[in-house]
Amino acid sequence: MNNLERFYLGRYLQAPKRNLLRFSFVFMILGIVLSVGILSAGLNLFQGYESSLREVLLGSFPHIAIQDADSDYISMEDAEKLISTLKSNDKVEMVTPTVTYSVMAANDTRVRGVSLNAYYFDAHNPFPYAKYVKEGSSQLADGEIIVGKYLAKELGKKCGDTLKIVYPQLDKISAMGLFPSERLYKIAGIYSSGFYESDRSQIICTINDAVSLLNITPSYAKLELRLKPGAIDDATHIAEQLQQQLGLSYLLYPWTTFSAGLLRLVTMEKWLIFIIFSFLVLISGINVISAVTTIIFDKRNEIAVLRTLGSSNASIKRLLALQVGLTGIAAIISGQLFGALLSFLVEKQSWYHLKGDVYFIDSLQATISPLNQMVVFLVSALLISGCIWYPLKQIDKMQIIELLRNS
Amino acid sequence: MLCLAGYEISKSYIDSDQSIHVLTDANLELNEGEMVAITGQSGCGKSTLLHILGLLDKPDKGRILIGGREVHAGMAEAAMIRNQELGFVFQFHYLVEDLTAKENVALPAIIAGVSIGKAQKQASELLERLGLSQRLNRYPNQLSGGEQQRVSLARALINKPKIVLADEPTGNLDPDHSEEVWQMIINLNKQFGQAFVIVTHDHESARLASSTYNLAKGYLSLCP
Repeated sequence: MNNLERFYLGRYLQAPKRNLLRFSFVFMILGIVLSVGILSAGLNLFQGYESSLREVLLGSFPHIAIQDADSDYISMEDAEKLISTLKSNDKVEMVTPTVTYSVMAANDTRVRGVSLNAYYFDAHNPFPYAKYVKEGSSQLADGEIIVGKYLAKELGKKCGDTLKIVYPQLDKISAMGLFPSERLYKIAGIYSSGFYESDRSQIICTINDAVSLLNITPSYAKLELRLKPGAIDDATHIAEQLQQQLGLSYLLYPWTTFSAGLLRLVTMEKWLIFIIFSFLVLISGINVISAVTTIIFDKRNEIAVLRTLGSSNASIKRLLALQVGLTGIAAIISGQLFGALLSFLVEKQSWYHLKGDVYFIDSLQATISPLNQMVVFLVSALLISGCIWYPLKQIDKMQIIELLRNS
Repeated sequence: MLCLAGYEISKSYIDSDQSIHVLTDANLELNEGEMVAITGQSGCGKSTLLHILGLLDKPDKGRILIGGREVHAGMAEAAMIRNQELGFVFQFHYLVEDLTAKENVALPAIIAGVSIGKAQKQASELLERLGLSQRLNRYPNQLSGGEQQRVSLARALINKPKIVLADEPTGNLDPDHSEEVWQMIINLNKQFGQAFVIVTHDHESARLASSTYNLAKGYLSLCP
């Protein structure tokens, strides 16, 4: 930046109203604010969706699941040995033995297929998903269950009500036909993780109740591992290490096996939306081209004077680029603030909810990520800069003498 | 010593498929500290000659020498020569509307690389010498025609050029202001020793110059 450019920069900053908020800039500013606002809000909402989905997936599902390679069950003795081995790993936060079965939940008129998850928990082994029990208690006694929010709603049940759980026992047929196993349980809590499928089809009970209902020998279907926060992204590598430690008698499934693809897809969609919305900024660039063309026309006398006084074309172009550019930067930052406001309003509105069966989660959340905002700023600034420089090329073709004669 | 010279300068324009010869083999020499006036009727090509001498326009033919060195409008150093060795005063002053009188005067110095503070100090001093100490921070539209032209003169002088080219500097002023500006040019010429080329259609004022050229029908001739 030479002295002349510094001088003009000082002038622009000293009197921004006179130099930067010119009438010919109004539509340019509006266009940039709107397009950057939409781009920014879109990215905030997609980032929020990505973060929420990741949080729900990692919060309501095990980080690593361990099953017996040769059997559907892990015996109590084997499970104890495994638990003590796994707990010695400093990256493992919690190990929970689990039984999972498909059963039916019925009220007087309706029957729903549900997933019965029984956990072994006591004072030393807390229920791993306790934070999602939004109503009632997460401490279950035998005879009590926790029911998913939407399942309870569909069956018209609430905390304190009783719910009939039916297990068909298809492998036990008598001369009289099928004799399903059924029990009445008291609903002690309502489970709401935000992951639609879990909230619609999950029932949680104690291991004792599961053994009794399913008529199985006391054992576990799998062990669920939760990793410490810093180790979650390293689940694949940790699973490989544990696999070597435990041998081939067990199968280990890190969360990435089932969910990483989905999260990658969401991330890809986020950047795809970003690219599409970036075209809005490019369209608002038409107003920038128009504003720059107008300012060149308005300032042709000044351009002629500066060139007569010995200023170079490049320097004059930088002066005008600085003037429009400073306004553009202010408009981009305003657009980002507008985007934050827009995403806040979308998050708080109550007339539209995500369809949980389509989008997995049912609430819109916005996350303002500094990295994303930096990308929005840089891409917008780059596109706007291109739209500023393109019309400035006409200054090279201007003849001083023609400008002076026509003034 | 010769500071500006133009030899065999010719320039023509095409107007409605017709070639109009504005200048034909015009010769002019200007010594250091000399004041030369070019007179002629309106539209005869006086301004064109001044623009060619000031490296703002290209001649069809001819040579221009500034300080003994051959120069032309298309050369890379033309902008630097206009900034350092030439000063310009125009009939319509061409002050930058968004800048104050002091800032307008400081512009050539700032372009030359002088620090902003120093350039503005020099501009203030120059404007004070031209009697505009009360008008330093006024914008051009807050100044009278005579004041605007004095600011324009100060701007032409701030880089202490050897040559000042003035195109009808009083053409837009009333007789009182016109007289005031002429006196100022004569005083500056005596005080600072700068050479002046003044284009005017006012023959009375032109007599104040040390030599006068007349331009008629494309031919430039030295008046006796």
